[in-house]
Amino acid sequence: MISLVSYLAISLLLFFIGLTLMIARKNIVAILLGIELILNAAALNFVAYSRFAASNIDGHIFSLFVIVIAAAEAAVGLAIVIHYFQLKETIHIDEATELRN
Amino acid sequence: MKLALLANISFYIPELIAILTMCSLLFFEAAYSDEERKRTFVYIVGLIGLAVCMIMLVANLGTEPKSLFAKAVVIDNFSTSMKMIMVLGTLGTFYISYKSNDIYESLKSEYLVMAVGVLVGGMLLASANNMLTLYLGVETLSILSYVMTSMKRKDSLSTEAGMKYALYGGITAGVMLFGISHLYGIFGSIHFAEIAAAIPALEGAKLTAAIVAFLLFFVGLGYKVAAFPFHMWSPDVYQGSPIPVTAFFSIVPKLAGIAAIVRVSTTLFGGDSSMSLTWIAFLKVTAIMTMTVGNISALNQESVKRMLAFSSIGHVGMLLMGVIVMNEMGTNAILYYALIYMFMTLTAFLVTCLVSNRYGSDKMVYFRGLVNEHPLMAISFTIILFSLAGVPPFGGFIAKFNIISAAIDSKLYTISFIAAINSVIALYYYLRLAKTMILDPSDGKDQLRGASFVSHLVVAGLTIPVILLGIFWGKIYHLYSFAKLYIDS
Repeated sequence: MISLVSYLAISLLLFFIGLTLMIARKNIVAILLGIELILNAAALNFVAYSRFAASNIDGHIFSLFVIVIAAAEAAVGLAIVIHYFQLKETIHIDEATELRN
Repeated sequence: MKLALLANISFYIPELIAILTMCSLLFFEAAYSDEERKRTFVYIVGLIGLAVCMIMLVANLGTEPKSLFAKAVVIDNFSTSMKMIMVLGTLGTFYISYKSNDIYESLKSEYLVMAVGVLVGGMLLASANNMLTLYLGVETLSILSYVMTSMKRKDSLSTEAGMKYALYGGITAGVMLFGISHLYGIFGSIHFAEIAAAIPALEGAKLTAAIVAFLLFFVGLGYKVAAFPFHMWSPDVYQGSPIPVTAFFSIVPKLAGIAAIVRVSTTLFGGDSSMSLTWIAFLKVTAIMTMTVGNISALNQESVKRMLAFSSIGHVGMLLMGVIVMNEMGTNAILYYALIYMFMTLTAFLVTCLVSNRYGSDKMVYFRGLVNEHPLMAISFTIILFSLAGVPPFGGFIAKFNIISAAIDSKLYTISFIAAINSVIALYYYLRLAKTMILDPSDGKDQLRGASFVSHLVVAGLTIPVILLGIFWGKIYHLYSFAKLYIDS
């Protein structure tokens, strides 16, 4: 029987993989991937808690909202990144340093 | 039961009107083919829509506080007042966008669509009463903000700012959501009232987990209001965005975020459990660091937009100080501060917009000798700068005074002392700009193009409330003392 703890462990793992991607990788698309992983970790948590810990379906509803919002956020993020690539011909985060005093 | 939910809509009319305005703006924006006529029409529709929204908010002001839609949303006088300030701020940025050359003419109507969209998110955030509506509010605000930031398509600065905003925003929203998911697991509910009821009973491992989850939860809110240590995006985004967008960002998302923090803090952490004490201690450190970092970083900025960005971080620190007080005095002071802050920010950005229209840049050197060519504008702006710094007798002084006196009333002496020191630091950089405008000789360039007589009048007109609110503040403050926060239980 799969318990709550295994779900939590997987979501924590996803969360940290996402964080590591965002901190360590310099590729902007990889950072967007990291964001998606974090959002999915949260969605997994919601469903698992809703099944095991709480006696309501708020978690299921919340996870549906998360999926929709994650899609919207990814769409906007990718659109901006594509536009940035068209202007600068790079998607390396270290080269985005024009905004300085 | 279902009909009862539907009947609640009558209290939700302002938001519905804002949504309707956004949809009709989108429709007209797409339907018209003639650019010139489309823009005029869209501006008129936006103006009428928000004016009606404002009237409906005023009509809502007197009603009994109420929680709607199965306790998802609270309508009380505090949130209604905050929404009124946000609507007024949006209307003001409409005028700035109308005057500004910083966004392309063809995109001005789109600016209106997105500004009203962010406003809808802000209204939702200001009256959110469970985790889901709060998260939806934050994301509605954020996703549209990313697009607004990168509106100058051919400008690499604007695109870079939008990209940074989207990345940081996505990360913090994700972290916040992760925190919320654990809060849901710990408390078994997403409603603030039920979480608040369960907080005092926490102990042991659950308490530790809850503290960590609440800290993760704060990341998203702190990011939205640009509180330390999540303020790093703010100067970059402010500098890269077009000026009307910057003005908008320093008003609507910030005030909405502050309103959400006030509601979360008072609803969840009103008692004196160890959880509440941790949250308040955390907010205290954040407030102190936010105002200090904001004011010190603003000291040697050359770009006025960037300076205003750091100064608005400083103001957020003051507002957070009002949150820590956690009583009615604090919320009244926050409302008053928000009102004055809105007028001051609008004027500052309108003048910056007019100057940068002429010179194509917002560097401080271009403000030199402004008083010789445009005395009315320069003097109004100087008054605003004094008010931002908190010099009597202007509104900014009363706003700061109210917050500090509320803090002293709750025996928060250290933070009040630090706030007072911060006002002195702030005086330096505001006066530096005032000195540039008044004492430095102008370089004999011609007048500001596009700075018509009307825009001078608007600048002066926006300054008048700041002066009046500084002298006759009793009435409005008294009015706000009715704007109580409704705690749903």
